[in-house]
Amino acid sequence: MVDEKRAQSPIDRAWELLISLKLAITVLILLATASIFGTIIEQNQSIEKYSQVYEDWLVKILNSTGMFDMYHSLWFNGLLVLFTVNLTCCTIDRLPRVLKIVRNPKKIFDEQFEKSLSLAGKWRKKGSVSEWSARYTGALASAFTAPVVTNDGEAVHLYAEKGIISRFGVYITHLSIIIIFLGAIIGNVIGYKGFLGLPIGDAAQFIPVRGGSDLKDVGFKVRCNNFWVEYYRDQFGNPTEQPKEYASDLSILENGREVVRKKIVVNDPLRYKGVWFYQSSYGQDKPSARMLLRRADGSMPPETFHLLFTRGEAFGVPGMGIVRILDFQDNFEGKGQAIQVQIEKPGQQSVTEWLPAADPEADRKRGDAFIVSLQGVEQVTFTGLQVAHDPGVNTVWLGCTLMVIGIMIAFFMSHQRVWVRITPAPEGKVDVAVGGAATRNRLAFENKFEKIQGELKELQS
Amino acid sequence: MEPTVANIGNNVYFFDFTMILLGVASVVYLVGLYGDKPSISRGGTWICILAAISSFVALGLRWVESYQMGIGRIPVTNLYESLVFFAWAVVLFHLFVERKYHSLVFGAFVIPIAFATMVFAHFKGGGGAITPLNPALQSYWLHAHVITCFIGYAAFAVSAGVAVMYLLKAKQEAEKRTSGVVTLFPAAKQLDELVYKAIIWGFPFLTAGIITGAAWANYAWGTYWSWDPKETWSLIVWLVYAAFLHARVTRGWHGKRAAILSIVGFLSTIMCYLGVNLFLAGLHSYGGG
Repeated sequence: MVDEKRAQSPIDRAWELLISLKLAITVLILLATASIFGTIIEQNQSIEKYSQVYEDWLVKILNSTGMFDMYHSLWFNGLLVLFTVNLTCCTIDRLPRVLKIVRNPKKIFDEQFEKSLSLAGKWRKKGSVSEWSARYTGALASAFTAPVVTNDGEAVHLYAEKGIISRFGVYITHLSIIIIFLGAIIGNVIGYKGFLGLPIGDAAQFIPVRGGSDLKDVGFKVRCNNFWVEYYRDQFGNPTEQPKEYASDLSILENGREVVRKKIVVNDPLRYKGVWFYQSSYGQDKPSARMLLRRADGSMPPETFHLLFTRGEAFGVPGMGIVRILDFQDNFEGKGQAIQVQIEKPGQQSVTEWLPAADPEADRKRGDAFIVSLQGVEQVTFTGLQVAHDPGVNTVWLGCTLMVIGIMIAFFMSHQRVWVRITPAPEGKVDVAVGGAATRNRLAFENKFEKIQGELKELQS
Repeated sequence: MEPTVANIGNNVYFFDFTMILLGVASVVYLVGLYGDKPSISRGGTWICILAAISSFVALGLRWVESYQMGIGRIPVTNLYESLVFFAWAVVLFHLFVERKYHSLVFGAFVIPIAFATMVFAHFKGGGGAITPLNPALQSYWLHAHVITCFIGYAAFAVSAGVAVMYLLKAKQEAEKRTSGVVTLFPAAKQLDELVYKAIIWGFPFLTAGIITGAAWANYAWGTYWSWDPKETWSLIVWLVYAAFLHARVTRGWHGKRAAILSIVGFLSTIMCYLGVNLFLAGLHSYGGG
């Protein structure tokens, strides 16, 4: 509804494109199409795996266009940004007009407006304008809703409306999408997600995030006291191979003291200080290195912990830094079992060294306040915990709730309006005109309007 | 993998009976339509009512039987159960539309969808065995998620069936022919309206279905959205119907283009529902049997 005659500057044209429905639909279809590719091309696999499926030239093209990690690619996120900009611009463009309609309803029912309505009727009654205006005000209030009465010279106009909020349904829905995106961004920027393989008996304070390339200090320790799997039983009462439940008995430790203890199962996580621990998987009989941690000056009782071989990822050991297993030998230099570890301390160069089980003092030459040594290699059961901290999630839920409400308002509510005009006519009579309009579900409103009109027409003085 | 604890209860007989009833109803509706005999189509309605009752009994019985087997849970947890639940929702939706629009011709286009679903469930749904729930599915979110999704899907199925009717009717009206079965259809304008109405019912349910799924995922894995193929396809379906609604409401897209978009929407719904489980790997694969 931009003035067609006005000369258009490039800015006007750009704005018009941004608020256009064509752009909205194009972006919706583009997002849908891109997502189809995202489900056909398996995401985040190794290049070797892709090479088995696709020709080399295709792998190159798909890789360079970000198709292997599409949802993090610049262009896909660009589409999401464009989508948000489009939504925002549409709202900026249209909302003021809607507000104008809402703030200044058309209270005067003139003849020209009457002609523009498809639902309208006329009749003549005996009596005075004031008398009929009072009567119709009452009748309209009981049949529809209480009208606003406007005196315009000798004529009186009645205006009644219902469901004005339906005008905002679409904006509530659009706003909800922006809120959801906002929540997602908050979660991505401030939040973190990680996986923790925790052997029974061990406690951890550092969670490997971003695929183990980073460690997050959650500020407290989580300990796995126990882990177990329960299986369904067959009709003879013998356990089957189908797991019924897997559960971990977890404790939260602060300053060495247990503050919370909970048994978690799938769908029932443990939550502490905004960090959620989910039962996600488990491993059994995986080799792990049992390590002993001491202070070099012996001022602390030794602590044991495990480094899992399977994951090859980083472990955060309080006081020591980040420890990674690089290699394992069953008989290292004729001295028996040994592991090669890399130890990283914040602000220091990483150190790589071999730790034979036979030499508990091997780590002392590193000159650190802490000494780590290998006690042995064993098979342990560990619980697989998904760890998440997402401060944006409540914003997302707020957006989701608003979205459902907005959609319901937009589609199932209708702004319904009824007008009545009473004007004096010769011989002590009055001319009555009624009109009605609805933004949605017009067929149903037509019946309602006919009923209201009938009631008003039948009204006797 | 063959389920190790699997039991087939009597409920399956009721589902098979429902399948037969829906087959008969499809034929009756088609005969009534082509023979221009509303009295025959009326019979289709009664068979549909019977099928809806039989399906209801079957679902209830299945629920009870699952408890008798010691693995009690709502019967909407695997492919077989979701299919029969979907078919039931389509039949109920159809009966509602038929009553509301006083027209007996919808059955010939909508009930075959329900029948085909039951046939698919019978042959490809894993034999109707009641299997225990894996730990991830043991959640109250399951109920809200599956029920909202399938009501949405059922509404989209009705919309697509009516869209096909619209295309036939609009063609006939354009050619000004006055013979043939299409004459019996409600006016194209009314069909067009119904295509839209069914979608505005389906859309909020689909939205709620996606949201409850996200809430569940967040509670089970700590991520409300992970671009899993099923999630992504549900988003695709949502985007297609969002495009439909924008084109329709703001642009006034009516008729042929709207009908085709509704059919495209339902095809993506089928892909989301079945295709993903059959062709793509992901979190929902266990739901696919």
